[in-house]
Formats: sequence, structure tokens, C-alpha cells
Amino acid sequence: MLGAEVTFDVAIPKIIWGWLVSTNMWAKSIATGTFLVGLYFVLKYPEKDNFFRKWIPILGLIFIGITLLVTILDLHHMLRFWKIFVHAHFTSAVTLGAWIVSGFVIILLISFWSWASGNRKLFNRIMIPGFILAFFSTIYTAGIMGQATGREIWIFPTEMVSMLLSATLAGSAAFLFIDRLYRYVLDDQIRRELGYILFSSAGLMSALYIGELYFARMHTEFSYKVVKILAFGDVAPFFWLGFVFGLIIPMILVGIAVEKRKGSYAFLGSLSALIGLWLIKHAWLTAPQHLPLS
Amino acid sequence: MKLGFLVDLSRCIGCMACAVACKAENDVPLHSWRLRVKYIDQGEFPDVKRHFVPLRCNHCENAPCERICPVSALHYLPNGIVNVDHDRCIGCASCMMACPYNAIYLDPVTNSADKCTYCAHRIEVGMMPACVVACPTHANIFGDLDDPESEISKYLKSHRDVMVRKPELGTKPKHYYVRGSTVALDPLASERPEGFTLFTEVKFLDHIGGH
Repeated sequence: MLGAEVTFDVAIPKIIWGWLVSTNMWAKSIATGTFLVGLYFVLKYPEKDNFFRKWIPILGLIFIGITLLVTILDLHHMLRFWKIFVHAHFTSAVTLGAWIVSGFVIILLISFWSWASGNRKLFNRIMIPGFILAFFSTIYTAGIMGQATGREIWIFPTEMVSMLLSATLAGSAAFLFIDRLYRYVLDDQIRRELGYILFSSAGLMSALYIGELYFARMHTEFSYKVVKILAFGDVAPFFWLGFVFGLIIPMILVGIAVEKRKGSYAFLGSLSALIGLWLIKHAWLTAPQHLPLS
Repeated sequence: MKLGFLVDLSRCIGCMACAVACKAENDVPLHSWRLRVKYIDQGEFPDVKRHFVPLRCNHCENAPCERICPVSALHYLPNGIVNVDHDRCIGCASCMMACPYNAIYLDPVTNSADKCTYCAHRIEVGMMPACVVACPTHANIFGDLDDPESEISKYLKSHRDVMVRKPELGTKPKHYYVRGSTVALDPLASERPEGFTLFTEVKFLDHIGGH
């Protein structure tokens, strides 16, 4: 007996979660990343923290708004989204995420009011709950992916690290981008540190993805086939362009920017990182959906 | 009471009576299936074999769809059936992402998730699921796994080659196959080339649900 082939079957769905969910993860990385990275600078440089006290809530609210918008747009019953609060099922990472992000939105609104009213103490009071909610807002999607039992390439601990690195990459890139738009308002040392964060996040994420390409395929037959789709299949252009634009080019450009003190390189590096991050997230989300589960 | 299903694949003749009965009974819309029968051809002429595999919800004891559903639209009934509350479903498709058996679909008419419920509405009034009644070879065997005198319990006890799909995932399916094989039950053990075959066009759907 040789190979086997399906000769009769119904049409089965392929992409269930598509670009709206990729955009959700991408925008959430920016919203939570700017909070987590910004908080570090507020604490480390309290005398130079005006930039961060202003841009943490503004960027946070814009991108968490995009996150919530695409999440609701992706629902097939958009007007029933409120049921997640009145019929909450807390074994679901989706439910936990909805509640945590709602808390994070409140934190961002308070941060915005703190900046708008000049009440610095108010922001200081919400730093700890803000950190906790931003942290869990970042990683809950890893929980959802971990609960997707059939997609064996999504493993919770790795996804969690990947989400955190995406947040630090996106957060530092967003601040470098804004810094350039306002003609370098940041202190040189802060800009260098943002570069280090972006560089190390991109470096660690590269190692994570390359590690997955080499090692995940050894775990299960499913993972083996997903890695083939990622590296050589339908989503390979997204994956490799995302890898180069999101991780390699930013490391090179930001590395040069930090060493040679050239702000324009950091700007291009951060722009490339933000574009590439979406591409690689989209590839990682859709690749396991290309395989039939039954 | 713990209801379960068993398919004796050596009896299945691939007639699709179960799939048609299911569609008619549950008013399943076009392009959606609660139960389907897949044909897999194995080998090279003249040494060939055709496998018929009826596929439906496994009503797992540890159901990933129930766990991930954010609003408990997917829930257990006391008899072990994993049921769907269409009015509560928000259409997030998490259950479709979580189900390792591809057993859930988004109904394009109601926009809610749906799947095989072992015909819970029929069982409630003492009837058998529609697919069981329609099967001409009695390949579908349905009953109470907790009752040692039920046909399914006796069948399970008297056969050593009982299989479930993807046991390694720990979902504890309550849908068994007798005289199955890896080729029949593992979707990755066979190629699924898209395009026209002797019977139909094998393809993936580009769109799901209703938006």
C-alpha cells in the first residue's frame, strides 16, 4: 500500500481568524508596549518624564481603541459583545482578556486625565495597577492561542514571551517614531536606551522565531507541516518579509543609530519594526490555519 | 448517564445517508456540515483501498470549545452532550479555533456557532439521532456509556481495536471508531490536494460565517 489521498470531502474552512485578529495583536502590542516601556522611563528619569506622561495615554488610547474596534468588527454578532461581561465564562482566555483590557482602558483614561490636568500624583498612584494590567493585557492572547488545542505550534509559554517582546519592540519603536516626528525632543541617553530596548527585543524575537523553525517541527507532525508552510508555503512572504523588516533591519538601523547617534536611522528602524511586526504576526496567526484538522 | 457514539468503519459503505439525514433534521445551511463523510483512497492500482470516515463533534469530556467559549454558549448537558446556545453566541469563532476536530462551523444564516449535538432535541423525547436511524448498515451505534447493558458499552467491551481521534490532546472524546486506521482518523496522514476528483471538488472555504 502506498500513499493516501482525500478523494471526496466537503469544503472546509481555512482562515478563521485573519487580518483583523493580526491587527488586534499588533495594535495591542503598541498600546501595552508604550505603557510598559514608558513606565520604565518615568521611573528612571523622573526629571525628564514629561514626554512619556503625555504619550503613554495618547498612544495607549489610540492603539487600544484600534484593538477594541477590530475585535468587535471580527465578531459575527458585533452587537452582542456586551454578553462577555454579563455571561462571563472565566475559564476562557478571551473572557479574561476582555476584562483585563477593560481595566487597562480605565488606567489609560486616568493617565490621560493626569496628563491633561497636570495632576502628576494621579499617574503615580496608578503605576502599579497599570503595570499589572498592561502586562496581562499583553499576554492574554498567548492564553487564547494556548487554548487553541488543535494548533500545536502555539505553546503558551513561548507565545507569552513572544507577546512581551512584541510589546517592548513596538513600544520602543513607537516612542522613537514620535521623537523623530517632534524633531528629537528626547534626551540623547533616553533615545539610546530606547534603541537598546528595540535592538534587544528584535534580537530575542529573531532567536525565538529561528528556534521555532528548527525545533518546533520536531515536536509534532502538525508543527512540522506548519513550519514548512511558514518557511516555504503560502505565508512565507509574510513571514520572511516580517522577519527582515520587523527584526533584522531594525537591529541594523537602530544599532547604527545608537553607535553613530543618527536619529534618522532610528526613525527608519522603528518604522520598519512596526510594519514588520504586523507581517510576522499575521504569518504566525494564519499558518496553522492552513492545515485541515479533520 | 454519559452518551457516546461509536462508528464501526468496517460497516460504513459511504452512502452519506447519515449526512443527508443530519442536514434535513437540523436544517443545516449550504456549505455547512454537522456530520460529513470523507473518502480517502489509499494505495496504487491494483492494490487500493477506500476508507469512508464519518466525522462529527466528538463531545469531548474535556472539551476545548467549552473551555474557550467566552460566554458559555457552548456548555455541557447533564448527559455529557456539548450543546450550543445560539442566542448567547457572540460569533467570536474561538470555539472553531480551539476544536482540534474541525467540528464547529459558523452558521451563515444565524451567524452563531453550531455543530452536532447528537440530536439533543430527539434524545430528549426518547428518539435516536437522525444519523443513527438513517444508517442502512447500522454502522452508527449510539447509547449510554455508563450503562453496561447498552449496545455501545457491549460493543466497546467486545472490540479491541477501538480508536478515538487525537487521543494525545487529552480531550477525552466520547466518539469512538472501531476498525479504524491512522489513514482514516489522522487528517495529516493523507494528502488533501485541492481540485476536482472523480466525485467532487476538494477545496477549502475562503470565507466563514456571514460577514
